[in-house]
Amino acid sequence: MYDVLIIGAGPAGLSAAIAAREWNLNVLVIDEFLKPGGRLLGQLHQEPDGKWWNGIEESKILLEKAKELNTDIRCGISAHTIEKTDHGFSVYTNEGILEAENLLIATGAAESPAPIPGWTLPGVMSIGAAQVMTNVHRVRVGKKGIVVGVNVLSVAIAREMQLAGIDLECMALPAINSATESHGSPKKVMKALLRIAHLAPSTAIRFGSRFMKGDGTKALAVKFFPKSGVKMWGMPIHLRKAVTRINGTNQVESVTICDITADGEIIPGSERNIEVDFVCIAGGLYPLAELAAVIGCPFQYIEELGGHVPVHNEQMETPLEGLFVAGNITGIESAKVARAQGTLAGLSIAKRKGQNLAKLENQIQQAKMNVRTIRENATIQFHPGIEKGRSRMEEAYYDIVHG
Amino acid sequence: MNSHRILDHPVLGKLTIEKEIPFTFDGKKYTGYEGDTIASALLAQGIRTLRVHEESGSPRGIYCNIGHCFECRVTVDGTPGIRACLTELNPDMIIESGKQQFSPFKSTENQDDLPRTYAEFEKQLKGEKEDEPDV
Amino acid sequence: MTNKNHAEVAIIGGGIVGCAIAYYVAKAGIDCMLIEKGDLASGTSSRCDGNITIVDKDPGFDSLMSLASQELTAELEKDLYLPFEYRTQGSILVCDNDAEMEVANEWVNIQNQAGLKFKLLDHSDIRQESPYFADDIPGGLECETDSLINPYLFCYSLIDRAKEYGLKLHTRAEVKQVSKKEEFLIETTNGSFTAKKVVNAAGVWAPFIGKMLDIEIPIKPRKGHIMVGGRQKPIIMRNVMEFGYLMNKFQRERIADPETLKHGVALVLEPTESQNFLIGSSRQFVGFDARVDFNVVQTMARRALRFFPKLDDFNIIRTYTGFRPWTEDHLPIISAVEEVPGFYIAAGHEGDGISLATITGKLIEEMISGKETTISIEPLRYDRFKRKVVHM
Repeated sequence: MYDVLIIGAGPAGLSAAIAAREWNLNVLVIDEFLKPGGRLLGQLHQEPDGKWWNGIEESKILLEKAKELNTDIRCGISAHTIEKTDHGFSVYTNEGILEAENLLIATGAAESPAPIPGWTLPGVMSIGAAQVMTNVHRVRVGKKGIVVGVNVLSVAIAREMQLAGIDLECMALPAINSATESHGSPKKVMKALLRIAHLAPSTAIRFGSRFMKGDGTKALAVKFFPKSGVKMWGMPIHLRKAVTRINGTNQVESVTICDITADGEIIPGSERNIEVDFVCIAGGLYPLAELAAVIGCPFQYIEELGGHVPVHNEQMETPLEGLFVAGNITGIESAKVARAQGTLAGLSIAKRKGQNLAKLENQIQQAKMNVRTIRENATIQFHPGIEKGRSRMEEAYYDIVHG
Repeated sequence: MNSHRILDHPVLGKLTIEKEIPFTFDGKKYTGYEGDTIASALLAQGIRTLRVHEESGSPRGIYCNIGHCFECRVTVDGTPGIRACLTELNPDMIIESGKQQFSPFKSTENQDDLPRTYAEFEKQLKGEKEDEPDV
Repeated sequence: MTNKNHAEVAIIGGGIVGCAIAYYVAKAGIDCMLIEKGDLASGTSSRCDGNITIVDKDPGFDSLMSLASQELTAELEKDLYLPFEYRTQGSILVCDNDAEMEVANEWVNIQNQAGLKFKLLDHSDIRQESPYFADDIPGGLECETDSLINPYLFCYSLIDRAKEYGLKLHTRAEVKQVSKKEEFLIETTNGSFTAKKVVNAAGVWAPFIGKMLDIEIPIKPRKGHIMVGGRQKPIIMRNVMEFGYLMNKFQRERIADPETLKHGVALVLEPTESQNFLIGSSRQFVGFDARVDFNVVQTMARRALRFFPKLDDFNIIRTYTGFRPWTEDHLPIISAVEEVPGFYIAAGHEGDGISLATITGKLIEEMISGKETTISIEPLRYDRFKRKVVHM
């Protein structure tokens, strides 16, 4: 019986393990992937101050700290189901049943699919898949490709692929269908895109920010968005072009692209083919929360947090006794926020174990402040309403627990 | 071999290879590197098709690369349904791609022709050798 | 008046029973609406398997009702536009031991005398059914007319066609209150509706609707687990169940391990059109606790391996539970309610909702239209429970 079992060895899970080990808890961390680090591993971008955020190095720092504290981390373990027991939790895995008094689910996020015809062809993959192949495994996913879907994540990863010397034709939107929805709407994409303006010292930003004063002018920004797209690091980003189809027999050979109106409607006759041998689809992230659902944790749908999120409070506790959550499962934010949330969750679990309360309480308050500060100073913000989403979650928790 | 590797990276530096790992995929011998998943080792060889759709036979490769979509399932040392994107490449692994399977009953076909027993199904198979899927 | 918030008939519940009622009522030209708290088939009808069987029914009224349903489903295949994976391959029951084989023999004789197409299967017939069966299975029996559908697709297919016949559909509308003055007023989370007649087709949730009109409906949720096996090579062509769970109908003791008996586990294996395999089943009274119980799943898996030992490398891709609307005498309630004129109940089908949905829809339409019913509805009356004390 562990004091705490942590599912997910990403920034949240590892930070929680470190905090819990510092309070001498008996901790086990499990992860499905073959190495710890989670999605932090693939991250590589330049901060506004010019320094590189290197996910592999950041993971190493966490891992070394965890190792110094003799933390038990096991990779290649998949959890399929969890049962709440009288004493805690039974986690069913491919290596047997693991028992723990407390459970932290830090499973991160998954990518929403933005399917377009032909997307099952080999050579089509999610943008996150390409990121891991490029930065973690150091494998080139193809010779020349296109990124379908323009959002915070895909712009960042497109840049990472360029860095690795991979040729990208351009970025464009997925053609609107019932599954791609807002990812295919230039107006909505433009609005989202401007939030990462500071990451790209380019014309797109200067162009867009002029129009960002009011909602009416945002529509204008799309209307006047250059036909040839704007270039970020030499690669065109098109908001008025959409990919309607991916073509090929045994693998990707080309895409069919067309011009679209500001509302995303296809302009007839504008279709043409572009030869590429890979396609990255970017539909944005949503919290990966099935395991919390399986145990019966209540959920709340909060758009600003990325979708259905397990209800939790600021200390990362859920209404289910002994169940905690941290990282992107609580809402889509950066790895830095996940790391701070992990530390907070680890401390909250130590508190539940009845550790030295005065000192611990002090640390918890600091950790809470830390999450808030990091959130405020975030370089990458996935949703502008994140603060609003977070306070809606607080209310949902209050309603369920006290309500 | 491994021609699709990114050997040099302006920020991450040179690729350091700790150890080579030999393995077999559909009967052919390949080499991957320590730290590879089955999917990354194969993609480094330019191999993108990991299985075909069981019914249509259309080719499939990795999609999500985080174990969520199950598009990359292969058979490893005789065990089917293994996700290539999450599974660590181990020395001398025997990996087989997923194959097309028979679909003996499509309700859109004439109900009277649907086999009721396995014996009838086998009899029908013998009758139509021409477009036999590869199983 | 014909506006979207009013109808002659309001059907509450968008499961397979409600959808079938909506289809027949709309097809009869009656102004009707269907009110569903979630999406179509979001309750029991998407947490079940897809058998339309007689093979396990008592001869007499039970099998008569199933046979009528089978015939109606065959007709529907011609009238509905969206395919629903309808396959008429028959189904089989397999016996675990010689004691069961003896009783199966009696069963077949009784069914044949009733004019139903049953046939006893011996050891070599079982080998023909599937080379994956255990060698020691003594035999079983076949019912030639049994069929399979995909219940989820079937619901959508029925409603697709019913809408053409004029059905008004209101989903995401959870009924909060039903009252009756001149006509019924149905208040939901997605608007208020009025109707002259109301059909309560809310399955395990039917008692909650009943309570709103002070009508006590003796239906209890009985939980069942189903495992879904991943797509793989064909192993059997049609639905198979084990004879064991019919043993108590003959007042004979079923021979099985204690866990199997405790959780009410009996083998059901349904090969779906897409070559997934639905493996069941269990029966438990645990209220509305929908959580998957791993002990039950393990017991079900062991039971499946008793009959199909070579499937020990089967990939199970998920497991789900559903609540079957249980009644004390195992027959559904398909009935008008005397106390509240214009109020009908069509619920309580337990594990036979898929088998009996079409006949239920037809009967309700006939009752509403004042026609003579296709089969007798006497045994299905709501007031049959009043004659004795019901233990809830």
